[in-house]
Amino acid sequence: MKFNTLLKKLMNKGDSKDIAKKRLKFALLTDKLEIKTDTLGNLQKDLVEVISRYFEIDKESIKIDIQRSEESSALIFNTPIIAAHRQRGIPAA
Amino acid sequence: MDGKVIVVTSGKGGVGKTTISASLGAALAMQGKRVAVVDMDIGLRNLDVVMGLENRIVFNIVDIIKGKCKIKQAAIKDRRIDNLYLIPASQSDDKDTIKPENMIWLTNKLRKEFDVTLLDCPAGIEQGFKNSIAAADEAVVVCTPEVSAVRDADRIIGLLYAQSITPKLIVNRIVPKMVESGDMLSHEDVVEVLSIDLIGLIEMDDRVVVATNTGTPLILQEDSKAGMAMQRIALRLDGHPDLPIENPMIQKSFWKKLGSKFSRKN
Ligand SMILES: Nc1ncnc2c1ncn2[C@@H]1O[C@H](COP(=O)(O)OP(=O)(O)OP(=O)(O)O)[C@@H](O)[C@H]1O
Ligand SMILES: [Mg+2]
Repeated sequence: MKFNTLLKKLMNKGDSKDIAKKRLKFALLTDKLEIKTDTLGNLQKDLVEVISRYFEIDKESIKIDIQRSEESSALIFNTPIIAAHRQRGIPAA
Repeated sequence: MDGKVIVVTSGKGGVGKTTISASLGAALAMQGKRVAVVDMDIGLRNLDVVMGLENRIVFNIVDIIKGKCKIKQAAIKDRRIDNLYLIPASQSDDKDTIKPENMIWLTNKLRKEFDVTLLDCPAGIEQGFKNSIAAADEAVVVCTPEVSAVRDADRIIGLLYAQSITPKLIVNRIVPKMVESGDMLSHEDVVEVLSIDLIGLIEMDDRVVVATNTGTPLILQEDSKAGMAMQRIALRLDGHPDLPIENPMIQKSFWKKLGSKFSRKN
């Protein structure tokens, strides 16, 4: 064993490459969760279209967002319902 | 049969794309292939000096695409290595002068003349990158064992997959001593994170700087470990995909080797 390595082991210091690897894995994960702004916009448009088949909703007050915390990410979609459509035209479940 | 077009790319700058393009070009030519190495960094050419051909530039890639000259007139023949040609970038034009469709046209012509065309991609994911991957059949992604370089490599790999190209990885500038002491990501770490196939490992080598200083091909430098690694990568790229990849290791002195032999017996 090299002297430096020995010294490090004795002083109970971790390898800096382990820190590098951990940071790298985390960065790659969050990079992939990052979503283009127009992706969210398109998703919102599609969601409005689908939901409007079932409910009358206020298209202006819809909010769609991604909430990120250190542990998890969530897609948050919030819309007030004005009225429910009659059963007519709703595809079978 | 038509030749193939291989892009050398990385995302992050300064990780060794140009050095590797020049050396792989030289090695493939020495193995008997007809090779063109193309500098895709419009406005910031470098491959010409690394290959030691900067004094012989007359026309460049933009001239070919604008129809000002024939490919034959722009391609510079290396006089030291048979069948090795450089197509230099333009130094004065704008990055956006060339479009992906121009590169597809050009590489289709190059495929008829050359067995292998290597595209030395600029850093980043802008026009030069887009032009390069639009024209490529295969890709080599270069990274160093650093967080930023590996992260950028991951992004590039994603973009290549989107173009239906499955890239191979080169880890460059490995310092075996630091890997052993735990202060540098090992190639195993990098491969685990990126989960793609490796095509070569190149260690940090002073000979690279010497070769670049003088503009002589690295693979002609005697006892350059990086040069030897490049030659083996060239073999893997061309018909010998299963040639084993050697792990760069600390050069142990005779006495240390002897010592470890004895200690192993105990
Ligand atoms: N294995 C190596 N050992 C030592 N030095 C190296 C090695 N590989 C590359 N270098 C040096 O690193 C520097 C950057 O290399 P190079 O120009 O090939 O990178 P690049 O990826 O083409 O950069 P750019 O993104 O700017 O085009 C150069 O000075 C080169 O000599
Ligand atoms: Mg370069």
